Amino acid sequence: MISYIIRRCLMAIPLLFGITVLSFAIIQMAPGGPTSLMMDPNISKEAMKKFEERYGLNDPVHVQYYKWVSNMAKGDFGESLIRRGVPVSEMIMNRLPNTLLLMIVSTILAVIVAIPFGVISARKQYSLTDYTVTVTSFLGLATPNFWIGLVLIMVFAVQLQWFPTGGVSTLNADFSILDRIHHLVLPAFVLATADMAGLTRYTRSSMLEVLKQDYMRTARAKGLKERKVTYKHGLRNGLIPVITIFGLMLPGFIGGSVIVERIFAWPGIGLLFFESAFQRDYPVIMALTVISAVFVVIGNLVADILYAIFDPRIEY
Amino acid sequence: MKQKSLLLIVLTLVLSLFLAACSGSNTSTTPNNSNNETNGENTGNNGEETDEEDATTGEPVQGGDLVLGSTGSPTMFNPLYSADTASSAIEGFIFDGLLTSDTSFETQLNMAESWDISDDDLVHTLKIKEGIKFHDGETLDADDVVFTLSIPLSDDYDGPRAGYFEKIEKVEKIDDLTVQVTLNAVDPKIHIALGYPILPEHILGEVAIADLGEYTEFNTKNPIGAGPFKFDKWEDGQYVRVVANDDYWDGRPYLDSLTYRIIPDADALMTALAAGDVHYYTVPASDIATAKEWEANGQLKIESGLALSYSYLGYNLRNPLFEDKSVRQALTHALDRELIVESVMDGDGEVADVPESPLSWAYDEDVPRFEYDVEKAKAMLEEAGWTPGADGTLEKDGQKFEFTLKTNQGNKVREDIAVVVQEQFAELGIKVTPEIMEWSAFLADVDPPAWNFDAIILGWALSTDPDPSGIFHTKEIAEGLNFVGWSNAEADKLMDEANLTMDQDERAEKIQAINRIIAEEQPYTFLYYPNAHRAMPTNLEGFEFHARQEHYNIHKWWLDENN
Repeated sequence: MISYIIRRCLMAIPLLFGITVLSFAIIQMAPGGPTSLMMDPNISKEAMKKFEERYGLNDPVHVQYYKWVSNMAKGDFGESLIRRGVPVSEMIMNRLPNTLLLMIVSTILAVIVAIPFGVISARKQYSLTDYTVTVTSFLGLATPNFWIGLVLIMVFAVQLQWFPTGGVSTLNADFSILDRIHHLVLPAFVLATADMAGLTRYTRSSMLEVLKQDYMRTARAKGLKERKVTYKHGLRNGLIPVITIFGLMLPGFIGGSVIVERIFAWPGIGLLFFESAFQRDYPVIMALTVISAVFVVIGNLVADILYAIFDPRIEY
Repeated sequence: MKQKSLLLIVLTLVLSLFLAACSGSNTSTTPNNSNNETNGENTGNNGEETDEEDATTGEPVQGGDLVLGSTGSPTMFNPLYSADTASSAIEGFIFDGLLTSDTSFETQLNMAESWDISDDDLVHTLKIKEGIKFHDGETLDADDVVFTLSIPLSDDYDGPRAGYFEKIEKVEKIDDLTVQVTLNAVDPKIHIALGYPILPEHILGEVAIADLGEYTEFNTKNPIGAGPFKFDKWEDGQYVRVVANDDYWDGRPYLDSLTYRIIPDADALMTALAAGDVHYYTVPASDIATAKEWEANGQLKIESGLALSYSYLGYNLRNPLFEDKSVRQALTHALDRELIVESVMDGDGEVADVPESPLSWAYDEDVPRFEYDVEKAKAMLEEAGWTPGADGTLEKDGQKFEFTLKTNQGNKVREDIAVVVQEQFAELGIKVTPEIMEWSAFLADVDPPAWNFDAIILGWALSTDPDPSGIFHTKEIAEGLNFVGWSNAEADKLMDEANLTMDQDERAEKIQAINRIIAEEQPYTFLYYPNAHRAMPTNLEGFEFHARQEHYNIHKWWLDENN
C-alpha cells in the first residue's frame, strides 16, 4: 500500500508539470493583459511599456514560463501585478482559511444530510419518502447556486434578518466563534445544496444495488433485524462508490465556491481567482491554478486510498 | 421519527425558496456594471473650503460609522501608483491636495493658502496653509509638496500618472510653506497635477523612486496622509476602515469612521443595502427601480444627478463603410436615441450630441443635431450611393452594408442598445451583428494596434477638465484612445490652441468650436448622458451631489440622531 501511494505521488509530478505548461499557455493566449485595463487619456503608452518591462511581460512566453517555474520550484509564487509588491503567497494565505472553512463545513453538512436521506430513500424505495427525497434532490441539482443564494439572502437576511447578508464576521466587532458561525450558515448551506443532492442520489442508487445482494438476503435469513442489516452490512458496502465520488468532488470545491463566495462577499480563494482572472493578474492566476491542480491530484489519491481501506477486494 | 422531522425541515426550507421567488423580491441576475466606464481623472481630493449650504434641521453632531458599499476591491493606497476607483476613493479619505474642484468643476484652494500665476502662465507659486499635519503628527510643508510633485517627473517613476505632470519643468521650495512650479509650456490642466494628494517626504523620502510602487509597507499597510480620515484597517476582500482625523486642518470630520465594504456581486450589494449592512452606495442604473421602492418605504434616500460621462456608438473610420460623413450622419438619423433613453434606460438619462457633459462650463447647446428621421436617413444613404440589393440589404459597388457591433459583456444597457441598433438599422437595409465580449478581451480588440472592430458601444467618463484632445486628436490615433481613427486638421489646431491658454472663456469658446466640428462629423453617434444615483441613510446630512466624486466633502457629512 505504501509503495502504491508513493508510486501515485510520483506520477503526479509530470501531471502537474503538464498542467502548468497548459495553463501558462492558455493565460498567455487570452486576449488583453494587466495594462489593457488602464484606459485613460492620461495614462501614456510609455507608462504602460515601463510597467511591462519591469514585470517582464514583454519577454517571449517560454522565457516568462522558465522564470516562473524556476521561482515556483523555490517555493516563490512571485508578486501580484495588480497589487504591486504584494507576494502572491501572502494573498493566498489570507484567503485560504476562509475557503477551507466554508468547504469543510459545507461538506460535513452535505454528508450529514445526504447519506441518511439516501439510505432512507433506498430502503423505502417507491414510498412517499423516496419520491419526496428524489424530487427535492433533483430540484437541488437543477437550481443554480447563485439563485438559491440570493433567495436565501432575501428571505433570511433582508426580510427576517436572522442572518447577515454576507461577509465572514460582523464589521468592527471582536472575534467570536458564534459570530463566525452566524455568518457561515447561509453560504455553507448554499454550497452544500448541490453536493447534498448529488450525494443523496449516489447513496440511494448504491444502497439499492447493495440491498439486492445475496449477502443481504443471507443476513436477513440469519434473523437479523432489518435495521441492522441495512446499517451494518449494507451501508459499509454501499458507501464505497460514494467515497470515490466524494474524493473526486474535493477539487471542485475551489471552482464551485466562486459563485457562493461572490454572492456572500466571502473573501476566499474562489473570489480571489475570479478577481485575478478579470484583472489578468498572471502570477495569482498561475499560483491558484497550480494549487487547484494539486487539489485534483490529492483528491484522486485520497479517493483511491479510501477505496482501498473500505473495499477489501482491492489489492495492491 | 427523528428522520421525519429532519425531512420536514428540509422540505420547509425548499418550499420557502420557491415562495420567496414568487413574492417578486429583488433577485434579478443582471451582472454588475462596475467596469463600464473608464476613468478620465483620478478623483483623489475630498477636502474643500466652501461653507455648507445644506437645508438641515439641526446642528451637525459627531459620531457614527458609515458603511460605504463597493463592488471593486482596492489595490493599494498610493495615489501616484494605483489606477482603480476603489483605491482612489479610499485615497481620497486618507490624503489631501493643495487644490480641489467644486460641484461645478471650478478649481478651488484646498490645503493651499494661495495660488499665484506669473504673467506668462508658466510659473505657479503655491503657498501652503499653516499648521497642517500628517496623521503621524509631522507638519506638511514645502518639502513634502516638492517631493510629491517630483516623483512623476523622475525617469524611474513607473506608475500610470505621469501624464498630468508632463509639462512641469521643475519644482522648487521657496520657503517652508511656499513652492514654485515652473512649466515648460502653458497647461490649463495643471491644476490636476498641482492638486494631487501630497505624500509624506519624511516617510517615503528614503525609498528609491523605482521601488515606490512596490513599497507595501506604506502602500498597503500603513499609508499616512493629511486627509480627513486616518487609515485604520484593511481586511483583504472584506473592508477598509478609516477613522476620523482629530487634527484635520478643515476641522474634525463629523463621522467617527468610514467602513469601505467590498461586496463583489452587484445584486448581493443591493441586498446588503436593503438589509442595512451597507449605508451608502452609488446604485447602478439597472437597479435604480428597486432602490426607488426602498426609498418609498422610507428605508433610505436617493440623491440623483447627471453623471459625468456619456455613452456612444463609435465607428471604425478605417472601414470603407463609414468613410463618408453623410453615411455616419444618416446612421445617427436612423437611430431613435430618445427611445433608447426612454425604454432601455427607463428615462434615466439625456440624449447626447457632443463629447462634453452639460454640467461643464465648456458645454454648448448650439451644435449640429441629427434627430430621429428614418426617411431622411434612407434618402441620405441613397444619395451616398447605397441602394437596396436583391435581398433588401443595401449595396454599393458590389459591397453589402453589413458590420459587427461589439460591446462589453456585463453591461445590460449596452447589450440592449446593441439589439436596438440592430433592429433599427435593419429598417434601412443594414445588417448589424451584435457581439458581446468579455471586458478585457473587448479592450484588446479595440485598443491600438488591433483596431479589430467595425463599430463599438462604449462610454467615456469625462474629466472635470473639458479638453477633448485625449480622445479626438490626430496624434492619439497611433497609440492613444482615438481608436476610431478620426482626424480633422481644423479640430487638431483648435485642440492645440485650447491647451495653450489659461483663460477659461477663451478655452470654452475653442472647445465649443471643436465640439461643433465633432458633432457635424459624427465619428461617434453620441447616445446619452446617464444619471448617477447615490443611496444613503435617510438621516444623512451635509451631503452634496458631485457628478465626479462619490464621496465629495465626506468630512462634512453627519448623521442626524433625531431623524
